Amino acid sequence: MSQAESRSLYEVSREESRTILRLQGDWGQAARPPASRDVAARLGDTGAVVIDGQGLSTGHPRVAAFVHGLGLRLDDADRAVEHRALPSDVAALMALSSAAPPRGAPARPPGLLARLGLRLNRRLVTARDTANLVGHALATTPALVSGRAQTRWRDFIELVRETGAASLPVVTVVNLLIGAVLGFIGAVQLQTFGAGMYLADLVGIASAREMAAIMTAFIMAGRIGATFAAHLATMESNEEIDALRMIGVSPFEFLALPRLAALTLMMPLLFLYGATLAIIGGMVVANIVLGTPPAAFAERLQDAMGLTEFVIGFVKSIAFGVLIALTSCYIGLNAGRNAAEVGRAATRTVVVCIIGIISIDAVAALCTNALGI
Amino acid sequence: MAKLSSNDNPEQGVVVRDLQLAFGDTVVQKDLNFTVAPASVFVIMGVSGCGKSTLLRHMIDLARADQGEILFDGQRLTSDDPRARAALQRRIGVLFQSTALWSSMTVGENVALPLQLHTAMRPAEIRDQVAFKLSLVGLAGQEQRMPSELSGGMQKRAGLARAIALDPDYLFLDEPSAGLDPITSQRLDALILRLRDALKLSVIAVTHELPSIFSIADDSIYLDNQSKTAIAHGDPHELVRNGPDRVQAFLKREPIEADADA
Repeated sequence: MSQAESRSLYEVSREESRTILRLQGDWGQAARPPASRDVAARLGDTGAVVIDGQGLSTGHPRVAAFVHGLGLRLDDADRAVEHRALPSDVAALMALSSAAPPRGAPARPPGLLARLGLRLNRRLVTARDTANLVGHALATTPALVSGRAQTRWRDFIELVRETGAASLPVVTVVNLLIGAVLGFIGAVQLQTFGAGMYLADLVGIASAREMAAIMTAFIMAGRIGATFAAHLATMESNEEIDALRMIGVSPFEFLALPRLAALTLMMPLLFLYGATLAIIGGMVVANIVLGTPPAAFAERLQDAMGLTEFVIGFVKSIAFGVLIALTSCYIGLNAGRNAAEVGRAATRTVVVCIIGIISIDAVAALCTNALGI
Repeated sequence: MAKLSSNDNPEQGVVVRDLQLAFGDTVVQKDLNFTVAPASVFVIMGVSGCGKSTLLRHMIDLARADQGEILFDGQRLTSDDPRARAALQRRIGVLFQSTALWSSMTVGENVALPLQLHTAMRPAEIRDQVAFKLSLVGLAGQEQRMPSELSGGMQKRAGLARAIALDPDYLFLDEPSAGLDPITSQRLDALILRLRDALKLSVIAVTHELPSIFSIADDSIYLDNQSKTAIAHGDPHELVRNGPDRVQAFLKREPIEADADA
C-alpha cells in the first residue's frame, strides 16, 4: 500500500542513454515518499541520471534528503547525476549539503586474529594495572598510617560512617535470617538421629567460619563496591580526577586510599557483628523448633567452638574488604567517559567482587584444611 | 534585510506574553513580552545568571511559569491535549548547551531516534534523512562514530543535526558557541544562518558571545539582572548605538559603573 503511494510520487523513463527520474506531487509531511535505495534499484545500471523536480508541488526538505541519498548511491556506482528544475528551497539545501567535506572511507572492522590480539592485550593491561594498584596500596599504606597521605580526614570519617554504621540495618537483617535458616535446616536434619543438641556446633561454626564473612562481603560488594565504582567513574567522566592530578594530588591517595582504609577497618567489625547475630538467629530457632533454652545453647556453643573459628572469619573478612575496595576503585578510576560506562563499572565491580570473594574463601578453606585448623 | 515585522500577522512565529520566571518566591525575570518572527534569528542576551537559559527552558516547556503564556503560531505547548502537544513538540528542535548527545548511541543513531519515534518513515528512508542531515552540518559519513570520538565542534554540529532531524520550524540553541574556538564558532554561526535560510527556521538562541550576537541576530532581547526584566529589544547593531547604557556597555564589552555595588 505504502509502496504504491510512494510510486505515485515519482516516474522513471529513458531518454537516449540517460535515465530521467521525475519527482512529482506533494512530498510534504503527510506523504510517504520513497527511500533512495528503492528508487535506485529502478534506475538501471548505467548511464547518466537526470533528476527532474518540475512536477513537485512543494519544496519540502524531505525531497532534498532523498535527492542527496540518491546522489550518494549513484556516485558510488560512478554514474553522473544532473538536477533539473528542483524547487529553489531544495536547491538551496542541496547547495548547503554539497558544501560539506567529502565522506571518508568507512573504517574496516578488525579481523579475527587482530581481535584476539586486542583482547589479549586488554587482559595484559588489566593485569599490569592491577599489580600496579596493589603495589601502590602497599607502598602508600605507611603514609596513611603515619598521617602523611594526601587524604582528607573528613572524607575518611564519612566513608567509615557510610561503610560501617549505614550498613548495619542490612547486615543485621541478612545475618539474623541466615543464622535462622541454618538453624532450621540443621534442627530438622539433626533431630532425625537425635543429635539436636549439636545444633549450636553447626550454627556457630558455620556462621563464624563461613557464612557471616561471606554474606557480609556480598552485601558490601553490592552496597559499597558498586557505589564507589559509580562515584569514581562519574568523577572520571566529569574530569574531576584530572583536576585532582593538576593540583598535584594523587587520585589514588586522595580517593582510593581512604576507601581502602575504611573498608578494611569496617569489614572485620561488621563480620563480628554479623556472626553474633547469625548465632542469635540460630539460638532463637533452636528454642522454637527444638525447645533448647538459650542458656543451654550458649553453654554448648562454648564447648563446641574456640576463638579459632572467629579468627578465620575475621582474617577472611579483612581480605574481602581489601578486595572490594581495590576492585571498585580500580574499575571506577579506569571507566570510560560516558553515562553507560558508569553503570557498567558498578555492575562489573559487583560481579568481579562476588567471584573474588568465593575464590578467596575456597583458597582459605583449602589452607585451613591442610593446616588442620 | 527584509524582516517580517511582528505586526504583519500577530499569530505567526513565537509570541511571549507577560511571562514571569521564578524559582519559588524568587523572581528571575518578569513582564517579558516579545515576538520571534518566522525565518529569523532571535537572540536572548544578558550577563551570566540573568535568566537567559531559564527563559529558554520555559519556552520549550522544560520548566513551567506561573504567569504568562508562550504561543507558537497561536498554539500553546502547555496544551492539555497530548496529541496537540506532541504535534507541536515535533516542530521544535533543541541544541542543548552540553550537546546532550546520547553517549551510548552512534552519531547516526542519535539523529535517527527522533525519526524512528515520531515519523512513519521506513528504515531506508531514515538512512537517507540521517545521511542528509549529517551532510548539512558537515559531518557526512560520520554515522558510525560515537559521540565521545568527536571533537567539541563536531559534537555541537552532531547535536544540531539531531535538532533538525524532524525538519522543525523552530530551533532553540542554548549557548551554541560555548567552548568553541573562534573559527569553529564562526563556522557554526554561518551554518545557523544558512539553515535559517534553507529550512525557513525561526532560530531562538541564548548567547553572550558578542561576535555571535552580531553575526547571527536579526532581532534580540536583553535581560537585565537588576531590574529583573527585558530593558532592550531590537536589532543588536541598532542597540549598540542607541540602546540603554547597560546594553551598550554589554555590547561594547565596557565595564558597567552601576555594577560596582553588585
